[in-house]
Amino acid sequence: GKVPASSILASAPSDKNLDAWRESGCRTTHCNLEVLQESTLVFLATKPHILPAVLQEIRPAVGPHHVVVSLAAGVTLQTLQRLLPAGTKVLRLMPNLPCVVQAGAMVFARGSGAGDGEAALLKSLLSSCGLCEEVPESYINIHTGLSGSGVAYVYLFAEALAEGAVKMGMPGGLASRIAAQTLLGAAKMMLETGEHPAKLRGDVCTPGGTTIHALHQLEKGALRATVMNAVEAATNRACDMAED
Amino acid sequence: AGVLAAHKITASSPDTDLPTVSGLRKMGVNFTVSNKDTVKSSDVLFLAVKPPIIPFILEEVGPDIEARHIVVSCAAGVTISSIEKKLSTFCPTPKVIRCMTNTPVVVREGATVYATGTHADVEDGKLLEQLMASVGFCTEVEEDLIDAVTGLSGSGPAYAFTALDALADGGVKMGLPRRLAVRLGAQALLGAAKMLLESEQHPGQLKDNVCSPGGATIHALHFLESGGFRSLLINAVEASCIRTRELQHLADQEKISPAAIKKTLLDKVKLESPSLSVASASKVSLFTNKSPSSKKN
Repeated sequence: GKVPASSILASAPSDKNLDAWRESGCRTTHCNLEVLQESTLVFLATKPHILPAVLQEIRPAVGPHHVVVSLAAGVTLQTLQRLLPAGTKVLRLMPNLPCVVQAGAMVFARGSGAGDGEAALLKSLLSSCGLCEEVPESYINIHTGLSGSGVAYVYLFAEALAEGAVKMGMPGGLASRIAAQTLLGAAKMMLETGEHPAKLRGDVCTPGGTTIHALHQLEKGALRATVMNAVEAATNRACDMAED
Repeated sequence: AGVLAAHKITASSPDTDLPTVSGLRKMGVNFTVSNKDTVKSSDVLFLAVKPPIIPFILEEVGPDIEARHIVVSCAAGVTISSIEKKLSTFCPTPKVIRCMTNTPVVVREGATVYATGTHADVEDGKLLEQLMASVGFCTEVEEDLIDAVTGLSGSGPAYAFTALDALADGGVKMGLPRRLAVRLGAQALLGAAKMLLESEQHPGQLKDNVCSPGGATIHALHFLESGGFRSLLINAVEASCIRTRELQHLADQEKISPAAIKKTLLDKVKLESPSLSVASASKVSLFTNKSPSSKKN
């Protein structure tokens, strides 16, 4: 709600994706150049392999007043700056899926042409979608492994939690909703108390009680190491893909 | 440990050749081979014998136990009620305290817990606490927690020695001389333990404080996690605790028959006396997995 819909212009080759924009009250077009002419802050949200062509197309219309933000996974600031006029203010953004419910985790890195003003603008705009932090570009792939893909790890965990409950006799739908709320509540406590998760975990464990018995099972299954492996694998894959 | 003057302490053992005996004598502790004499001259009695011997000791000294005596048993798995039961045939209200300590008392860094029996007063507990606090940490607990304590801090030093041996191996593998590796490993654990005890922070936080992003430590920790390090430690504490309960159960049912004890030992027990010492614990026997082949703990 930071920017009025009428100030937003979205461009796409076909109408397929534009309906959603129109429904929110945004203007739409099929012409990329029009976006550059009408707007100062430009988000590039194409698939990575299409991006170079789009950059070629809009390059003539890019000026020193523009702020270009790329969401394309694996396309480095170096590449972006190479394909745009020298000195263009470029930033690179990596969001995650829950941005659509305003509970996203986003990181961005700035190119050599972008200054404090641009960073502050981006951060201020995007904070309405969740957590938004500026990082060195090298953290972007790690963010992918942690939070971009991380959302899927959570879904997997939630599914397993629910399945456990179903095994013990609870209906699936209810189990699923409770699983989700459990994750939401735990995450909220972490964010709001700022306490170390190990401490929060200890707070839940009464001596000899149910929780510590369950945690022992998780430790036996080396859950921690497996999760670390997952983050590492996704990060490494992001790095590999970027080089392609 | 400076809490009690040595001449106020009397130690008793059937076998006077043992090194512990000369050690105690050097400290200025009174020595005797008669348990009965010990009981007569003391107020606080530490029973520092292996658990199967306890019933024999209690039979022997029972008649001399008076209301003033505080009987402290360090025998693993021997319940307060079993001691009270045995003594009540001699003394109507025997004061019994059960305690569980660990080997590092010898360097005054012991971990001791105690539970007070039916007729032991708060002051009696506090007296024991004062004595044992001179050799480390000491606190009161409910008796039903003592086997968990055994699993954690009773057996704990053994887990630490195993870890230290392995850490030293790691150091040696990477090029350190053995002695230095052992010294550094021990100091690392000592330092970490001290940091934790002196800090308000959670061990998880202290761990994070050591792990710089992408650094050496976090790589190493990943290996530990992959190996299920945490669950192994949980398993160990659990196994020790469960085994303690098993032994306690066996002892309660008096399943350990006299036949399990060496005949020569039994004779000595009947004629002279098994050891009964009232010393600030210089060495305490904790575990009874093996048959009591030594006469003194």
